[in-house]
Amino acid sequence: MKRITAIIALLLCSLGFASAQDKKDIVTEKIKVSGTCGQCKKRIEDAAYISGVKRAEWDKNTKELTITYRPSKTSLKQIEEHIAQAGHDAGEVRAPEKSYQELPECCAYKEEHAHDH
Amino acid sequence: MTIRPWSRIAATGSLVAGTILLLSGFASEASAQGAGQKQITGVVSDESGTDPLPGATVQTLPAGYATLTDTAGRFILEVPDTVRALVISFVGYENDTIPLSAAGGRIRLQPVKALKEVTVESRKKSTEISLLSTAKVEKIGTAELMKAACCNLSESFETTPSVDVGFTDAVSGYKQIQMLGLAGTYTAFTRENIPDIRGLAAITGLTFTPGAWVESMQLSKGAGSVVNGYEGTAGQINVEWRKPFEEKEPVLYLNGYQNSQGRTEGNLVLNHRFNNKLSTGLLLHGRSDWARVDQNKDGFLDQPLGRTLAGSNRWFFFHPSGWEVQGGIKGIVLDNTGGQKGYREGMEQVAGSYWGYRQQVKRIEGWAKIGKVFPRKVWKSMGLQLSGTYHDQESRYGSRSYDADQRSFYANYIYQSIIGNTSHQIKGGASFMADAYRERFTGMPYRRTEYVPGVFAEYSYNYLDRFNVVAGLRADYHNLFGGFVTPRLHLRYAPAGQTVFRASAGRAQRTANVFAENTGFLASNRSFAIQGSESGLPYGLKPEVAWNMGVNFTQKFMLNYRDGSFSADYYYTDFTNQVVVDMEKPGEVRFYNLNGKSYAHSFQAQLDYEPVRKLDVRMAYRFYDVRNTYDGVLRSRPLVAAHRAFLNLAYATRNDWKFDYTVQWTGSKRLPQRFSDHHVLLESGDSPSFVQMNAQISKSWKDGDVEVYLGGENLTGYMQHDLITGASNPFGHNFDGSLIWGPGMGRNIYIGFRYKLK
Repeated sequence: MKRITAIIALLLCSLGFASAQDKKDIVTEKIKVSGTCGQCKKRIEDAAYISGVKRAEWDKNTKELTITYRPSKTSLKQIEEHIAQAGHDAGEVRAPEKSYQELPECCAYKEEHAHDH
Repeated sequence: MTIRPWSRIAATGSLVAGTILLLSGFASEASAQGAGQKQITGVVSDESGTDPLPGATVQTLPAGYATLTDTAGRFILEVPDTVRALVISFVGYENDTIPLSAAGGRIRLQPVKALKEVTVESRKKSTEISLLSTAKVEKIGTAELMKAACCNLSESFETTPSVDVGFTDAVSGYKQIQMLGLAGTYTAFTRENIPDIRGLAAITGLTFTPGAWVESMQLSKGAGSVVNGYEGTAGQINVEWRKPFEEKEPVLYLNGYQNSQGRTEGNLVLNHRFNNKLSTGLLLHGRSDWARVDQNKDGFLDQPLGRTLAGSNRWFFFHPSGWEVQGGIKGIVLDNTGGQKGYREGMEQVAGSYWGYRQQVKRIEGWAKIGKVFPRKVWKSMGLQLSGTYHDQESRYGSRSYDADQRSFYANYIYQSIIGNTSHQIKGGASFMADAYRERFTGMPYRRTEYVPGVFAEYSYNYLDRFNVVAGLRADYHNLFGGFVTPRLHLRYAPAGQTVFRASAGRAQRTANVFAENTGFLASNRSFAIQGSESGLPYGLKPEVAWNMGVNFTQKFMLNYRDGSFSADYYYTDFTNQVVVDMEKPGEVRFYNLNGKSYAHSFQAQLDYEPVRKLDVRMAYRFYDVRNTYDGVLRSRPLVAAHRAFLNLAYATRNDWKFDYTVQWTGSKRLPQRFSDHHVLLESGDSPSFVQMNAQISKSWKDGDVEVYLGGENLTGYMQHDLITGASNPFGHNFDGSLIWGPGMGRNIYIGFRYKLK
């Protein structure tokens, strides 16, 4: 039973620690990020997680990235630039042509399979 | 519903919708507004044109402008002249691109054949508990299965807190699972919802499904759906195999494994899609145990030498009219030899000689499913499941032999529809099960044939996502036990989006196979005594009947911007009759009908949280109180740990390294009265508690197409040290390799690879 009590105590401590963090210095925003598939999602989110970013979630269908960050540590511009460097147009920032060309075929969002009808 | 009639439906929830509905976009150019700008309006709807698709995304090409459709599927979008086309996307449908010049006309899109799976799931939890299903189902995905790289079903639960895994005995190498504190035989195993491991395969069957063949497993505790039969006292484990028609499946999947204990495995899965309708899969598995390993130095091999070969071929055919036909065959050949290190095949089994173990299994299974979904009425479907099994096994444990074969046939017809609207769903059908057993235990023949026709009906009521009821009832007639009724009920209530309460209750019945389920006792000199007096019944024993009730609670939360979930469950199983396995007296094991109480309380709490991105932490604790009446005395069941605590850490890096670490603590178990090595009678006592650690590192390349892994099991090397009592004289009366409470094998290091060809 001792071990169990210890595990529960540890758990409560970690919860307490987490909720005690400062909540004022935090902003959640949504930006458009171009991409097509699950692979893009991984790349976009990986790129979005720079220092100061608490949470980044990209929706494949709406192409919206919901991003939560600390303005004291980073800015939306910095995040967007980082995503653009990875090859995806983010908010106001266009991806450099070189980065875009390096994307795998399935992520080539600019020429989305435009089959004719 | 938890368990749906067809594997395909269960595998990808929205596949049905994706198969049947077509997306038809109506876009019209309404008016040109000013120079260089124009307004596009349109409606996005399904194939029939009557059901709008709200929330569909409409984007321009080149990208830059986008909108969502409203509740009526309408959208308005102002775009510059440079825009060439619109891209319309909606979950469950294929994206489509409509040139602006063609917008306004009626455009028929390609029908969606299957819900496109993304090739790489970015951050999907490896084990998920859905908030939406009426019954609590733990979905164990491929990622979780890969955490323990080895090897077959019995071993794939080692990172799942809900299931306990342990050796059945000290010689055969078989592992058995426990759920809700009850032996694995009380859990109903299904392969894509067709009953799989039953009867003679109770112990051996878990090794017949290689992990590499498995796509996912759904584990649910307590009463299941009546649609799948009257068995399943403790719960259900459904196994979904890799499906050749799924986009994410590679053309070729190759896996190789080698461990430090002399076990080599190879798996090959080949998938071929002829076209959108027809596909086939070939699955092969080979295993060889070639090293004589005796880590605890008791003179006995820790696991037998031998080989297992398994192969399966299956076919799928989907017709656009809604008909689907699938079928498959599977064959297994197993030959293992174990026992004392000096034993060689054919040695005489008398005192003074080496004690030997030999088992040979040949099993063949065939199955088919025929289903029909009605394209215009997606809620309506019907299906027929058929399966047949032939199982033959010969085993020798020292001087005792057990040879048996089983022939089984199963048919289940399910019809599904709605009453009025989709809030009221109804399923009904009929099933037939036949099992013929021939057993020979140390020369004594036992024969029986069971026929069980049955009918069932199940009603589901759904009030939005808030409240659901599933009430099922089945009536079966057993040729030996007579008629019986199986009621089952599931309730789900979600007071808030992230909070779910569930409850379930139901009856379950099964026929005990006293020999096949208790072969572990053959690794001892315990005499088998069946005290059954009912004439005409299997072994003279009544069927096992139990009622199971359970409640559970799941709460998903976001803490410090990270996701987590907490769940707790409690189940109570009460046996009205049980075939009691009594090992309380040393030197014998007895089987008799329950006379008194037998019950199992089970509680489990689990917390999943991702404190840092890509670091998943899982903590669990579970408690069992399992008691049986042995000869009029209510005692806790031996070899069941009351407490178990579990911690799993999984971390993935951005460059595809994965680290996985599991530590678990197993509390003490009650040991029955037994002999010591020196023939002294030891009173009933408790085993020590112990800690086990497993770890694995893997690295993948090319989006997961190539992966290598290195891992270790039982890293602390803790072993039960009196694994076999009287090991020095296996023909003596105190020889016992059936009292297993701890790890039977020491530290094990393994390496392996996985290769996918897309």
